[in-house]
Amino acid sequence: MSFREKSAWVMGAIMLATGLWYASLVAHAPQAPVIGPLIPYVLAVVVLSVVAQTVLAIASPKEANAPADEREKIAIDRAGHWSGVVLGVLAISACLTYVALPSGGMLFHHVIGALIVAQLAEYVFQIVLFRRAV
Amino acid sequence: MSQAALGEAVGVTRHTIIAIEQGRYSPSLETAFRIARLFGVGVEDVFGWEG
Repeated sequence: MSFREKSAWVMGAIMLATGLWYASLVAHAPQAPVIGPLIPYVLAVVVLSVVAQTVLAIASPKEANAPADEREKIAIDRAGHWSGVVLGVLAISACLTYVALPSGGMLFHHVIGALIVAQLAEYVFQIVLFRRAV
Repeated sequence: MSQAALGEAVGVTRHTIIAIEQGRYSPSLETAFRIARLFGVGVEDVFGWEG
């Protein structure tokens, strides 16, 4: 498994775990100020990402310092394209939900959730494309 | 020559060399030329195209 695939697995796991945590924070206090769950979520993502990437880089320092090669760049670009589509679909669904249920707080959480899911989707697409060799 | 050494010599990862060998990835023209030059042969001696 290449360094970038390992990184995508780890980052995908972090996004999934922290995304579920964010959803549970919102579910337990849906009327709380929207910034409440966001700050611990962002801190958790940043800390876990830095720790995970540091561990990966220490384990494979040569690969970590090397830039993405031509095949990896194609996979990363395509994954970014498809995750953009996911984000667009979820953003539209957030807008439609707001039309049906006009709650600014829920719109906020819906958009944050869309960003989390799109980022998770990007890592999943990267893993699939790295394995398919593009 | 190992796959890792070949990859390092032409500027791609070992996994990309594996994908090229297995016919799952077509390298860029630049990488194809780099590989051919490394072995001192022409591109058509290394790569073929089945249309």
